[in-house]
Amino acid sequence: MRAAATVFGVALALGCSNNPYPDQDDDRKVLYLPFSEPPKTLDPALAYSTADHAITGKVYDTLLEYHYLKRPYELVGGLAQSVPEPHVLPDGGVEYRFELRPDLWFQNDPCFALVGAPKRRIVADDFVFELQRLADPALASPVVDPFSVLRGFVEFSTKLKARRAADPEFGKLRIDLQYQRAGGFSGARSDGPAALVITLDRPYPQILYWFAMNFSSPMPWEAVAHYDGKQGRPQLSEHPVSSGPFVVGLYEKRARIVLDANPEWYGARHPEWHAPGAIFPSTEGVVGLSAAEKERLDASQGLRLPALARIEYRREEESIPAFSKFLQGYYDMSAVVRESFNRVIQEGGLSEDMKRQGMQLEKSVVPAVYYIGFNMDDAVVGRQAGEKSKLLRQALSLAIDSTEYLRLFSNGRGLPAHSPLPPGLFGYDPAYRNPYRSVDLKKAAELLTRAGYPEGIDSATGRALRLTFDVPDTSPEGRLRFLFWTNQWRRLGIDVQLSATNYNKFQEKVRDGAYQIFQWGWVADYPDPENFLFLLTTPMARSVSQGPNTANFKNATYDRLFEQMRTLENGPERRALLDQMRGIVEDERPWIELFHPEDYALVQGWLKNVRPVGLSIPTAKYYDIDPAQRRARRTAWNEPVLAPAFALVALLLLLLVPAVRTFMKERQ
Amino acid sequence: MLAYVVRRLGYGCFVVLGVLFFLFALFFLVTTPDDIAQRALGEKAMPQVVERWKENHGYNRPLWPGPGHTTDNLLVDHFQKMLTFEFGNSDADGVPIRQRISEGALPSLLLTVPMFVIGITLGIGISLFVAFFRETYIDRLGVFVSVLTMSIPLLLYIIGGQFLLGKMLRWFPVSGFDLHPGVLARFLALPILVGVLSSLGSDVRFFRTVFIEEIFKDYVRTARAKGAGEMRVMTGHVLRNAMIPVVTNVVMAIPFLFTGSLLLEAGFGIPGLGSLTVEAIQANDFSTLRAMVFLGSLLFIFGQILTDIAYTWVDPRIRLE
Repeated sequence: MRAAATVFGVALALGCSNNPYPDQDDDRKVLYLPFSEPPKTLDPALAYSTADHAITGKVYDTLLEYHYLKRPYELVGGLAQSVPEPHVLPDGGVEYRFELRPDLWFQNDPCFALVGAPKRRIVADDFVFELQRLADPALASPVVDPFSVLRGFVEFSTKLKARRAADPEFGKLRIDLQYQRAGGFSGARSDGPAALVITLDRPYPQILYWFAMNFSSPMPWEAVAHYDGKQGRPQLSEHPVSSGPFVVGLYEKRARIVLDANPEWYGARHPEWHAPGAIFPSTEGVVGLSAAEKERLDASQGLRLPALARIEYRREEESIPAFSKFLQGYYDMSAVVRESFNRVIQEGGLSEDMKRQGMQLEKSVVPAVYYIGFNMDDAVVGRQAGEKSKLLRQALSLAIDSTEYLRLFSNGRGLPAHSPLPPGLFGYDPAYRNPYRSVDLKKAAELLTRAGYPEGIDSATGRALRLTFDVPDTSPEGRLRFLFWTNQWRRLGIDVQLSATNYNKFQEKVRDGAYQIFQWGWVADYPDPENFLFLLTTPMARSVSQGPNTANFKNATYDRLFEQMRTLENGPERRALLDQMRGIVEDERPWIELFHPEDYALVQGWLKNVRPVGLSIPTAKYYDIDPAQRRARRTAWNEPVLAPAFALVALLLLLLVPAVRTFMKERQ
Repeated sequence: MLAYVVRRLGYGCFVVLGVLFFLFALFFLVTTPDDIAQRALGEKAMPQVVERWKENHGYNRPLWPGPGHTTDNLLVDHFQKMLTFEFGNSDADGVPIRQRISEGALPSLLLTVPMFVIGITLGIGISLFVAFFRETYIDRLGVFVSVLTMSIPLLLYIIGGQFLLGKMLRWFPVSGFDLHPGVLARFLALPILVGVLSSLGSDVRFFRTVFIEEIFKDYVRTARAKGAGEMRVMTGHVLRNAMIPVVTNVVMAIPFLFTGSLLLEAGFGIPGLGSLTVEAIQANDFSTLRAMVFLGSLLFIFGQILTDIAYTWVDPRIRLE
């Protein structure tokens, strides 16, 4: 009996393990991360979602990138040696000349058999080819709009479409030949193998931020020609051919994605260049760091990047299992799940329990704004009602308590918003207080009376003013969140009804203009005020172009100031324009600015050099890992508890023995 | 029997056509091609990009046949593609749907086949045991535990299993999947255990009822009178004669092993065909969803025919005409 129990115990101990990884990677610098949503595409011309960018950002390098430590964000050279200066042309256009680093290579890939080699150097024409792909109508790149400022971009797109329609044989040509025969466009051209010249029709300084994104990463024509999804070959969207610090080693996107350090990356080949994106930066000149942070980060100064050998992504569709595995040490970073918030975070910092386990907490305000918007085309809350509707919007704004909302629904994570601009962007003023964004019910009641709705009563009907809040969420939790806002307005005597539909129906309402009040958000593509303030310009209005100005705010002064502001360099003049625009939004109230969300990231003690950036910027190449510490802690945290197994077996025996005895007795 | 099978297949064709039509009508009742495009491209996509996407994916055509577009519309295209098994590419990520299905089949089968085999074996074994000890505390306890386990929703089993066996006792990984032979069994153990436990109660109750009904029949009494032992009576006589309802229950489930388990796969992060269907619904991916529904309806019809054939196998008195 004792021997059987021992055998059972040993078998259980050997068979039972919660370790989700094979043990062979225990001593390597492998970063383990969960992902919930698989990327839709790894084609850099198409990849736009956060899930896509988590992978493309690491495998495709860009001409420019952001300094890892500096805030406000600062561009530095990536594949380009430095950030180019704009050169204004006599015809009003602007030219940028990107000087490429020497000795840049694509990763090894079978597609280069098309040119008879296992790998190939990157040349300026590879950037030109990718920019031509952005214009290709067959591709439907989501960033056609910002790149349309490149000279000849739109014409090239139209020409390609027309030639393919007119001549089916043209459409069968190899893709690079199609682009060549269509003549390319003058806004993107090479000047030899090491210089890329970009020409814009008009000044648009924000274009440089777009060159820090993957849309303009170099793309070998061989990859596009080879990975076409035919004859067993994968599609380019599933098989990147890249030049970044990591390459895709395994892509089973519904379960597991593996990225390996790329030996062909320029940082790995030429550490002696000390390129800013290839060596861990110094904290010199970085503001806002505490002494402890400075000391921690300085310890890695000069470290050759990437420090990691591999990144292992595992799919976790649900957040709770992912968080459980993080607490067991099987993931190196995690967001804080709501269900465990109080256990993990206490008084804004890590709980004692978490500190004992060596965890670190990294907080960052996301460069995003969430807002309640009014449809300015609406007869009651919009411009048609003139001053009356403006007073109504101001009153509604005064009733909304974002701080309480964040406390109730977001564990206090987030900053109440006073203007469309989030922290970290030029133009954000932490001292600014919007007079309509602090709760003042008395003032709100006065404004309502002036608007013709004393105590919320519509004098035309003699009943409470009835408004509709259209929301794209029918879940009980979503309803609770939106009811919070409508209940705030109810305090003014106004009856705001929730009209909750599914997301598709909501989109339909927005397309048809059949909405009154809505809630939406915007996350920055790049850290420039232009990327937020364009959301309120007339050309971007839904009713004009189906653009993202869902409030249909149309203000000629605002538009004029925006046009002046967008082309200026950051400085006092731009600041003054931003303040004027803020004043218009403050007074007109097309939006009730709600909050800027805040991310809490939990980081295991063995993971070094993590610095939250807020923007969707690839940072994993800066991380470092202490595998020995991780192995020791994982072992200590994950000893299986076997006693209940023995208890269960004993219980079963206890139940069965009398039955068997009865059976034997009956048999006798 | 051949004529019967052909006739059933004929009926099945009508069922499949009806399913395809209702799927199309219901899907486009709640969504539009613009929504499909917007979901694929993301919220920030500008209108001209949405239009271009619709054009490239053929969603710029009218939904229904009408003057000038009797054949060039989405409904006709939908039927053409499904009936020729030309599933095309996913609306969400452009990947060929055949590839997604072939990638998802193995994880689904690795989960469902052991779950099915272990579940049926345990279900029959335990119900025979309980039936053998009928009207004793074993029987009463068996029925009580069966009803208890039947009353708990699968989601609670998943969360409870992950919490107790994964997090607290640390016997298995909380979730995940990896085909690496060193860890595959670890990943499958918990979902299989949860799947078996969650369905065991209803199986035991059903099989027990069938077995007890058989136990009181004359032929069992005759077998006992002829001196057959209790074990032989239970396994050689009762089990064999109770096979018709057992087979009905079991064979019908076999085709659906391919489509996986929606909740278990989603809960444990197993990249099978069940979670593929869930993802297609969440992503407004009409192309993938219709392929999965089409396969599901085919498998349903196949399962029904298979069940009928199995009747004749377990009971030679039955003839299919």
